[in-house]
Amino acid sequence: MIGIDTDMIARYGPLLLAGLVTTLRVCALASVIALLAGLVLALLLRTRLLVVRGAARAYVEVMRGTPILVILFLLYYGGPSFGLVLDAEPVGILGLGFYGAGYFAEIFRAGFESIPKGQIEAARMVGLSPRQIVYRIQIPQMLGLIVPPSVNQIIILVKESAVLSIITVAELTKNATQMANETFAVVEPFLAVAVLYWVLIEAIARSGRWIERRVRHA
Amino acid sequence: MPEDALASGPTDQDTASARVIEVRSLVKRFGNAEVLRGIDLDVRASEVVCIIGPSGSGKSTLLRCIAFLEVYDEGDVRIQGRLLGYRERDGRRSLASEREIDEVRRSVGMVFQHFNLWPHMTALGNVTEALRMVKRMSRRDAEASGLDVLRRVGLEAHAGHYPEQLSGGQKQRVAIARALAMRPRVMLFDEPTSALDPELVGEVLAVMRQLATEGMTMLIVSHEMGFAAHVAGTAIFMDDGRIVEQGQPAQLFAAPRSERLRAFLNTWRERSI
Amino acid sequence: MIEILADNYGVLIGGAATTVVVSGMAIAIGMVLGLALAFGLLSHRAPLPALCGFYRSFWRGTPILVQLLIVFYMLPQAGIDVAPLVAAIVALSLNTAAFQGEIYRAGLLAIPRGEIEAARMLGIGKWTIRRRILIPQMFRLVLPPLINEAIIILKNSSLVSVIAVTELMRRSQQIASTTFKPLEVYLIAGAIYLALNLVLAHAGRRLEQRMAISGARA
Repeated sequence: MIGIDTDMIARYGPLLLAGLVTTLRVCALASVIALLAGLVLALLLRTRLLVVRGAARAYVEVMRGTPILVILFLLYYGGPSFGLVLDAEPVGILGLGFYGAGYFAEIFRAGFESIPKGQIEAARMVGLSPRQIVYRIQIPQMLGLIVPPSVNQIIILVKESAVLSIITVAELTKNATQMANETFAVVEPFLAVAVLYWVLIEAIARSGRWIERRVRHA
Repeated sequence: MPEDALASGPTDQDTASARVIEVRSLVKRFGNAEVLRGIDLDVRASEVVCIIGPSGSGKSTLLRCIAFLEVYDEGDVRIQGRLLGYRERDGRRSLASEREIDEVRRSVGMVFQHFNLWPHMTALGNVTEALRMVKRMSRRDAEASGLDVLRRVGLEAHAGHYPEQLSGGQKQRVAIARALAMRPRVMLFDEPTSALDPELVGEVLAVMRQLATEGMTMLIVSHEMGFAAHVAGTAIFMDDGRIVEQGQPAQLFAAPRSERLRAFLNTWRERSI
Repeated sequence: MIEILADNYGVLIGGAATTVVVSGMAIAIGMVLGLALAFGLLSHRAPLPALCGFYRSFWRGTPILVQLLIVFYMLPQAGIDVAPLVAAIVALSLNTAAFQGEIYRAGLLAIPRGEIEAARMLGIGKWTIRRRILIPQMFRLVLPPLINEAIIILKNSSLVSVIAVTELMRRSQQIASTTFKPLEVYLIAGAIYLALNLVLAHAGRRLEQRMAISGARA
């Protein structure tokens, strides 16, 4: 830990940046999937149909009780057994996305439940349709409550994306490991990468606080 | 009889005029606002002093400064002659350590508006905690002492109950017992009945009255004008960070000299019909 | 799938046991460190809150896989030769300490200031206040997020398979490579993790109920 070889970092800069780009791409796409699927799940958790609600609940519990690595291995190594043959990166995106959906479902569910029933009753008495109620009454109020835990969950997703390196996706951690293998150094690759994740996550956290302020004043 | 007394009472060393609390030129600021603008106050052994005044007059802040729960900015607070909160060396003043503060504050007991009982301990647990942790009494001795003092406030039967199982008046009586168990020389009361439902106020005032008759030195911030009138030896009226008038309650209430006290008493009379 | 289970259940149970031990130790060590961190964050003594904040920021803001690799590769460089198992426990502990520290900090702040003032007026010392008044109440308050964190640690422990610790994930990989049935094996592994987490969640709820009954709510 005495000296840091800045030349090495400069030489491998492009590789690490390429990894960062992949990480950003993967996380962005996975987040979108997770948010959308999570919203759908949250709505499903509120239906009166017991079977549908039960299935949604089971999905959420499985995702919360199983490590992401198991889900990825199932999709990547076990996938071919049931006809799913995809490259590592799409598997990673889908895995992260549908895994995260379980968590977003809980966040959105709590958001829906935070709105007093009385408001919905009043809306129905005044004649608003269920759809209007969701879009005009529930979601605008939920946003303030939902943004912080959602931003937090996205940060968690970014950190979990490092696991994709294990199924050979060339994202940031994978490239750092490659750099470490090639140079036999440990400090430079992993600390450089830790700093990059840290900065990325701090940027997301800041954006999150900005979004939260905008949403609360809306 | 002395053994029945709730209070430890004056010792042979105290003379009737011994000053238990001395406050000189006390100033306290919160940011730019001066909340206490130079307070001078004496409480003598066995005196019962009541501080009254409108909200924002600084009365609670004064009490908390005397307890050194707030750090005062200028002036002196002395407990039995010893400076509280600061060390003085060669005329220069520095903040005292927690230990030094504890030592000077040892003879002061305090009862809070919101009781501040520890919810995870029973009434007896609350009362014996300091006996065991500070005085290092054995559990058996502490519990014997604790039951004794709970008996004095009429709550021996509730020794094994948790705070959430007690009424407000009972909780405050446990709080008084907890402070009493440490045998303080003086007790501070910060609006002891303000958080209680009206029906429960009486039981707490009864305990406080008994303490007074047994000779406990008491400094009380309160809205209970009746208590001030009948139990206190001295009443102090504060407004806007200053002591405006003080004297015997009967005289103060019957013949207020200042306009502000007159106005304050009028609002009180209007409220209570 | 049943035959795979039957043939390998000894190995799987051994792996699950290692998983539980690794997670348990990380939680326990993390608890001690986390408490220290929480008090450090709340302290008034100049460098302490900043240092603790820095620690918290790093260990919460970087992926656990990267942390694992850093600890695993850097310890030998610093002259400390440890078994992968020890490195795994160290990394997981340092990680969870940051999260637990934040949990405990929030719990401590929820205790009314007045209780501390009453203790100070009775002459009770700072450390006694922490031990007898703050920490007992804090644990009741933070039990839900703490159980949640325990579940997360259990899932994170699957990652130590990458540094060759033979816990459940690694054993599963070994079995998958010898049986050529990754789908079945990882489904079994997933089920075991799920079972462990369900037991943990259930134990957590029972503990919460027990603590509520002993009459201690603020």
